[in-house]
Amino acid sequence: MNTDLKYMTMALIAASAITGCKKDEEGTVTPPIVNEEEVITTMILAFDGQGAAADKELRFTDADGDGGGAPVFALDTLQATSDYDVSVILLNETASPVDTISNEVLDESTDHQFFFQPTGANITVAYADVDVNGNPIGLQTTMATGAASTGTLKVTLRHEPDKAAAGVVDGDITNAGGETDIEVEFPLVIE
Amino acid sequence: MVASFSVCAQVVAQQPCTLAISGQVVDEHDATALDFAEVLVLGTGRSVLADEEGRFHIDGLCAGRYTLRAAHLDCEPVELNVIVPQKGEVRIRMEHHSEQLKEVEVARQRPDENVGQAHEELDKSAMERNAGKTLAEMLATIPGVNMLQSGPTISKPVIHGLSGNRVLTLNQGIRQEDQQWGTEHAPNLDPFSSDKLTVVKGAASVQYGSDALGGVVITEPIELPREAGISGEVRGIGLLNGRGSGGNGLLQGGVKGLRGFGWRLQGSGRVIGDSDAPDYVLSNTGLRENGASASMGYRDHRWNASVYYSWFQRELGILRASHIGNLTDLNNAIASGTPWYIGEFTNDIEPPRQDVRHHLLKAEAGYAISERDRLVLTYGYQADDRQEYDLRRGGRSGTPAIDLFLATHTADAVLKHWIGEHVHGKVGVSGVYQENTNVPGTGIRPLIPNYRKESGGVFLLEHYPISPKVEMEAGARVETTRLDVAKYTYDNVYITPQHDFNNSAFSLGANWSVKDSVRMRFNASTAYRPPHVSELYSEGLHHGAAAIETGDATLTSERSVKVAADLEAVWMKGKLSTDITLYADRINDFIYLRPAGVQLTIRGAFPVFQYVATDAFLHGIDATVRYHLTPIWSIRSRTSLVRGRDLTKDEWLFQMPSDRTESTLLLTLPEAGKWSALEFSISGTVVFEQSRIPVGLDFTTPPGTYHLIGLSATATRTLSKGELRIGLQASNILNTTYRDYMDRFRYYADARGTDLTLWVRYSFGNH
Repeated sequence: MNTDLKYMTMALIAASAITGCKKDEEGTVTPPIVNEEEVITTMILAFDGQGAAADKELRFTDADGDGGGAPVFALDTLQATSDYDVSVILLNETASPVDTISNEVLDESTDHQFFFQPTGANITVAYADVDVNGNPIGLQTTMATGAASTGTLKVTLRHEPDKAAAGVVDGDITNAGGETDIEVEFPLVIE
Repeated sequence: MVASFSVCAQVVAQQPCTLAISGQVVDEHDATALDFAEVLVLGTGRSVLADEEGRFHIDGLCAGRYTLRAAHLDCEPVELNVIVPQKGEVRIRMEHHSEQLKEVEVARQRPDENVGQAHEELDKSAMERNAGKTLAEMLATIPGVNMLQSGPTISKPVIHGLSGNRVLTLNQGIRQEDQQWGTEHAPNLDPFSSDKLTVVKGAASVQYGSDALGGVVITEPIELPREAGISGEVRGIGLLNGRGSGGNGLLQGGVKGLRGFGWRLQGSGRVIGDSDAPDYVLSNTGLRENGASASMGYRDHRWNASVYYSWFQRELGILRASHIGNLTDLNNAIASGTPWYIGEFTNDIEPPRQDVRHHLLKAEAGYAISERDRLVLTYGYQADDRQEYDLRRGGRSGTPAIDLFLATHTADAVLKHWIGEHVHGKVGVSGVYQENTNVPGTGIRPLIPNYRKESGGVFLLEHYPISPKVEMEAGARVETTRLDVAKYTYDNVYITPQHDFNNSAFSLGANWSVKDSVRMRFNASTAYRPPHVSELYSEGLHHGAAAIETGDATLTSERSVKVAADLEAVWMKGKLSTDITLYADRINDFIYLRPAGVQLTIRGAFPVFQYVATDAFLHGIDATVRYHLTPIWSIRSRTSLVRGRDLTKDEWLFQMPSDRTESTLLLTLPEAGKWSALEFSISGTVVFEQSRIPVGLDFTTPPGTYHLIGLSATATRTLSKGELRIGLQASNILNTTYRDYMDRFRYYADARGTDLTLWVRYSFGNH
């Protein structure tokens, strides 16, 4: 019995030495700050007024990306019965200098397409750009407002949509497939 | 002392289940009888106690393959495969401390048994039947074990309703540490590196430390040869679904003039392309695995020392259609019922994909301090190198989205000892040092932070045989864990929080051989699990789950009390055998994800899930019943039921396995022509719809009940001094379309269709 105890003590000491020898190391590896490269913090619909219409802007900003703080909208009112040339601008404002993500979409234009779905507001949208295959992208569009109205404009960016599917080149998202990179519903007021 | 165990089986009469085995257990060292050894027939619940001369007799056996296990107080238990009826005499020589060591034919040293714990084994033949499958798929053939899947390539074992960090895996005796917190992270170990898997279906923190809440999966090391000569095996596998193939080679030997020294080399590979569902290709579900291991060791009557190294690499594709952008996409996928991306069959693996390498180095040394006491020191180092590639914009798909390096050192010292004449057990200390590093360069905020974890524990486990029929075991462990985290918050503030977790566990178990044909086990034990860093500090969008997940740094350790009773019995003179396990498991501070509102992002609205703790209660039953219709025909039924309740919310727990039952008709022929040990079976599996679900935790309703039919055939023959075994395994032969509740990809695609596996194993040499 005594020898048992002696050996048990020996075992404990030996093992403590094994397990304890790591204790003196410095702290955990400090991680570097990650500047998220693919985050889209900001989406701007830049309305270039044609004729008498003034330039307008619809802006969505989620300064810390997905999760964290809630996003905010900054919204102009559009002018009724007017024509606009509209550019979609995507920014990553966490990067310095600010990264223009819409250029990446343009570089991979055959794999991307924007869809615009108005609800309640009198506005029509037509694609004004094409990829190398002659299919729309949606970074450039023309929009025409009708009578004064209030509603929403849902902007969706699909990655790897099937642009050959029925209705897709005309802006119908139903058969587009692919996966959603962006889905923002802008409140819209036309006066 | 060398224990040898000789058995001669004899045919009593050619009537149903009236065959018998009798034999003698002897000490080979001086050829004297070993008195009162216990001899078990595994899987039947039969056991007898040998008499004073070591003689035993077991009757009422049917024709077929059996594994006998002999256990004696002074020896490590030994197992022996026999085919009944048996011609001639089978001899096993078991290595023990003696210089008069003879050749070892079949020998295995078992780890200390978990007295009172229900446990089941997948032996060599069960494992070879399931060759080409993942570890979790193999284990899921055991009642009480299910699978948590993420498509055809990723599966994790679920024991009694618990998985992930609540199931501990011991690979070669070392705690497997491979980012098992992630539901899409399968265990990174080579199923070919072991020829036996044991599942302990109980809380076992005393023996194994934290995380053993649901149970323990043990891949048991193959004993090294001790004698001169060379032996080995070659295995080949072909799979129809996924047009895959695989193989394994093993070579082992000893050195002439250096008795006790042995070595082994093993290498394996597996390549599978896209799997097929009945109606379409499951695009990007290919898999490539490579594994290799090398070991050598020396053993004599006082000393043993061994070194083991294994490397395992796995690259797998994740179903292309499971990659979705937001909740709208998920709802579209559910509504459409077919994957949105279906391509042509290919072996290529594209993003989203995972690439993982796992290294394990183990060194062990043991020294017999006295006749009966032995000190064993074990050290393990594991490096788990994981890259996950996502579909990314701007040519970044070649840059990993997740790049984690997890290094783990484990060290244990265990003293196996005797106190007086009857009490024996082990006392030990164990330590774990772990560092998790996010390798810079992903351009994505890390999913889990960098951390360092140190834990140390002390345990004591003692066996006390009250009588020849009743053995008791009691144990306790205390463990302390320190977690140092280093991360940037969402506002880019650097924080280094520290957490300390102190835990203790107790166990009490009993094995009671009521009579020759009835054996019972009881166990009441506690287990604990400190929260994983992912549960404490997750913060952000989980793309695969279309959810924002938020950790809670105030979570405390989960603590469970599990009570289990197991009854193995043989009835009707051996024609009917039953094994029934009942269990109840109460887990305090059970951590899970709970919906906590909706958050708007540029990708649209996402549900927010928060890690919260509740009190949970799980209970269930596992049952195996086998009935021998004739000496060669038998039927077997396996059923598992598990129920999980959230006690705080008074509702069902999410993602609990649904009821499952499998019935098999088996034909076993001792021989036919040149072939022996022929086994044929047809089995039907029913997996019921999960009707016990919580409200508001799932995106859709559970899939319906499904039925699958499978076939299996195995045969053995000798071929130029070696043994050739071949087998054919078919699953889902009716090509049934189904989805499983425990498959996270059930939102996107159907499960695999018909699969056919052909395997060949040739073993040679005399070890």
